[in-house]
Amino acid sequence: MSADIPIKLSVNGEDRNIFVTPTRTLLETLREDLDLTGTKCGCNQGVCGSCTVFCDGLPIRACLALAVTMRGREIVTIEGAHPGDMLSVVQQAFVDAGAVQCGFCIPGMIVSATALLQETQTPSDHDIREALSGNLCRCTGYAKIVAAVSLAARRLNGTVGGAT
Amino acid sequence: MSAAFHEPTTIAEAVAILATEPDVCCLAGGQSLVAALNTRSFAAPTLVSLQRIEELRGLRRGADGSVTVGAMTTHRDVARADCFQAGQEIVPQAAAHIAHPAVRTMGTIGGSICHADPAADYPGVLAACGATVTLVNARGQRELAASDFFVDFLTTAVEPDEMVTAITFPPMPEGTRGIYEKFCRSEGDFATVSVALILGMHDGRCAFARVALGGCGPTPVRAPEAETRLIGSRLDDDDISSASNLLCSRAAPQSDVRGSAEYRLMLVPRLLVRALDRARRRP
Repeated sequence: MSADIPIKLSVNGEDRNIFVTPTRTLLETLREDLDLTGTKCGCNQGVCGSCTVFCDGLPIRACLALAVTMRGREIVTIEGAHPGDMLSVVQQAFVDAGAVQCGFCIPGMIVSATALLQETQTPSDHDIREALSGNLCRCTGYAKIVAAVSLAARRLNGTVGGAT
Repeated sequence: MSAAFHEPTTIAEAVAILATEPDVCCLAGGQSLVAALNTRSFAAPTLVSLQRIEELRGLRRGADGSVTVGAMTTHRDVARADCFQAGQEIVPQAAAHIAHPAVRTMGTIGGSICHADPAADYPGVLAACGATVTLVNARGQRELAASDFFVDFLTTAVEPDEMVTAITFPPMPEGTRGIYEKFCRSEGDFATVSVALILGMHDGRCAFARVALGGCGPTPVRAPEAETRLIGSRLDDDDISSASNLLCSRAAPQSDVRGSAEYRLMLVPRLLVRALDRARRRP
């Protein structure tokens, strides 16, 4: 048993000082040490995508990142993915399109969709499906999720109204 | 349950740790290793994270046209690289097919090849390209051909005190095209079967051919006699069918959740046709 290692994590713009064992994942740290339970644990194998968060602006699997390696990285979770108390454009589009059923996969979906829209202004449905292919949803059948991302893209481009 | 953790910032520091610590394991991007640790089915080894070693990242094009990829270069960075030329473009093509965007952010070429899953995307590509792998330990460095690097299922020639620092893809003949044809159950899964092809045509005849199969045995499958059969031919149905048979006779696929051994052998000729069509169609 090794001693816990002190690390400073930047999560949603705040520095957090914590102690972790070498094998503690970022996901465990977020949920259990920092009480940021918006990020979900589905498979813990990197397959389901429900733990997807931003690391230095890019999507990663929180379950496949060891917290001890995250020193100095900028982590943004679903709790930090929107400005103030407002929903982000992507989140509002999910609400408006009725894309949420049980909601378990949605935090990961929002992160993956946001990452796509940061790189692609006018994604096709194929682009959207490919970008979300690593995020499993067992409720919706994906049609409304794809519609939500497409709506968010159009709102961000200003081609339809309703953006928050 | 967890052992010690090291985070060296140079290759020299890393190999010094590998030379002295017992039961150590390099942590690259962690996309296979952390998933394995999460199963809690084995005692965690001492981890040596390579994530802070900047000299292991990045791609470099040599004067001879070869491309050297640092072991800690992510799949995302390889997929977006523009330094690959004739034939070598199969490398970024395959990188773009590895898992999903969030995995490609963290996963690395060195980590992937050291895991040596025969259904993964890089092993067959390294074999088809005739890539060499650079290994370093505290005493020096050596270069291994891909065919000598992949030893068995999930097993490589890396010694316990060694680490992979780079993979070098040699230049391919001018005008060749690289095609990565992957068949999988759903986008982002490991391949059921993959075909890595580098093809050169001249006056309607095949002038250069390299083929490797993934998911068809414990290591990537190459069949020089199949390549010989294609070279000089017009790639008619008979030529492709004979080459496929030669490839299949070298393949030793296992049956698993992604398909039976028999099904995999049925896929080989179909995927080879697709790859050859794509190679000839592309501008």
